[in-house]
Amino acid sequence: MLNTILETCAGTLTQGLIYAILSYGIFITYKILDFPDLTVDGSFPLGAAVTAVLLTRGVNAWLTLPVSLLIGAAAGLCTGLIHVRAKVRDLLAGIITMTALYSINLQIAGSNLTVERAVDTIYTSAPVMAVLGGVPLLYRKLLVSLVLVVLIGLVLEWYFSTKNGLLLRAVGDNDTLVTTLAVDKGRMKILGLVIANALVALSGCIVCQEGRSFSATMGTGQMVFGLAAVIIGTTLFRRVSFVRGTAAVVIGSILYKLCIQIAILLGLPGNMLKFITAALFLVILITGNLTGRKGGADGAGAA
Amino acid sequence: MKTNLKKLFAAALAVLFVFALSACGEEKVPVIGISQYGEHESLDNCRTGFLQGLQDAGLVEGTDYTIDYQNAGFDDNIAKQIASSFSANNVALMCGIATPSAVACYAAAEDKDIPVIFTAITDPVAAKLDSGNVTGTSDKLAVEGQLELIRALQPEAKTIGILYTTSEPNSVSAVAEYQEKAASFGFTIEAVGVSAQSEVTQAADTLLARGVDCFTNLTDNNVVGVLPAILEKTNEKHVPIYGSEIEQVKKGCVASVGIDYYELGRQTGAMAAKVLKGEATCAEMPYETISEYGVYVNYAALEEMGITLPEDYAARAIDALA
Repeated sequence: MLNTILETCAGTLTQGLIYAILSYGIFITYKILDFPDLTVDGSFPLGAAVTAVLLTRGVNAWLTLPVSLLIGAAAGLCTGLIHVRAKVRDLLAGIITMTALYSINLQIAGSNLTVERAVDTIYTSAPVMAVLGGVPLLYRKLLVSLVLVVLIGLVLEWYFSTKNGLLLRAVGDNDTLVTTLAVDKGRMKILGLVIANALVALSGCIVCQEGRSFSATMGTGQMVFGLAAVIIGTTLFRRVSFVRGTAAVVIGSILYKLCIQIAILLGLPGNMLKFITAALFLVILITGNLTGRKGGADGAGAA
Repeated sequence: MKTNLKKLFAAALAVLFVFALSACGEEKVPVIGISQYGEHESLDNCRTGFLQGLQDAGLVEGTDYTIDYQNAGFDDNIAKQIASSFSANNVALMCGIATPSAVACYAAAEDKDIPVIFTAITDPVAAKLDSGNVTGTSDKLAVEGQLELIRALQPEAKTIGILYTTSEPNSVSAVAEYQEKAASFGFTIEAVGVSAQSEVTQAADTLLARGVDCFTNLTDNNVVGVLPAILEKTNEKHVPIYGSEIEQVKKGCVASVGIDYYELGRQTGAMAAKVLKGEATCAEMPYETISEYGVYVNYAALEEMGITLPEDYAARAIDALA
């Protein structure tokens, strides 16, 4: 029984982690740039489509990661240019790219694709097998995903602390400041969208390798998922200064997948799954708000 | 901050408790995890048929197996999580109903090489479910039989309209087969593709505007899901729709050469029983298609369209509403 619990936890953690990379992207657009970016629903399956095609053609699994990053960046660039240069409203710019990507994804993949077991993914690739060959696949997936998510998180935190990263953060908070520093805020917005969608496509790439499939509809609702993960994470940890933004987002993503897992485990009628998930979110957010308020009162008392 | 951590800890404990509860009592009786892509009649019929197939093979629920039934609500990402949860729970066998769920099950089963049985998949080869520790039943359409039926019922008809979802490989391959075989029955095919369910009724208007003589349905989930709305439009224009299985005929399609999903499920259940009893492995059994096709008719709908059933069909037609 203990084994079952551990394995369920490992499976849920893996899901939370690989989708956390998508949440990183939404953290940048929504939380930092204050840009509701709907491109996500298209760039997520874009990464998966490219990956599925490359893998079935025999391309090395690790090579699909940088390719997905680049192609996702291109998607972000489109939304950025449509919004900043063509002056289309933010939501609509994302919708335009997302809609176009639906067709592009199908054009790339042909139709929904499955990656055979005989094809190596990053989880079964030679370098990983050399180090973790003795570990069961379930835990290997967890470890590899964890390493990837932590690495990407560290790179992002480093970037946020550079001059360019600080400027990006300033665009969302106080764009007049950015203009007074003689920096083109439009260009910074485009850069943010490029980075965000590169990450989203990378997440799609890894999800495709973990689930060995691409489907045209896998992007539906990913923007909503990412938003929920970012808001859950940042609400829960807004009073805890040592938890970085990226770490909070990862925890938010894991909690989201955990809610779905609990709903599955409770064995409720299938159609109630989303309802139970929604109810669990509400509980998490209310708990977060209550502790937040208490923290505020404590702070006032101390002062 | 302390309360925050305390609450998190409490929440973690609660989660472990739920896990523990769910894990209880599964040690002895093997669990069959059924992952169904979503709820609609054909897939539901598959599931009830599957359960009947297990019982027909002499297995008793509770002593020989227990069922863990999950439904992804047509969400691919949830189908994946359901599958990985089955794997963690060490189910003895996974049953994937409809392609996305079956593909997700087979990917998750890789961890422990759990046998996977699928049903309601049109093209197992395209879904790469034709070799390995996986088998099941295909619901491939009887395209020639359907064309023959349409020719018999509407001798004057020239064009057949088809609505389909461009991202469903099952539908794409079925449309290709219709286009290939239509000419030998003297038909041309007008196919309109959609990307989402919300576009289906618009696409139906397009087909009607092109003046097709009838529609024929595939087992396309998006299209079947809004069938009543399509029927409303076609009935007004006096254009009959031929279904692809019995449930669609019940809803108002005139007729269908097609499979009974309940029977398909039962055939699948028999295969699963063999695996559970250790009589055969999934790898040893090639996937099966249903051997018997029936002709289902809706007499009321036929009358409304002014179609009379030719004698040879009348003799073997099954009243879908009976």
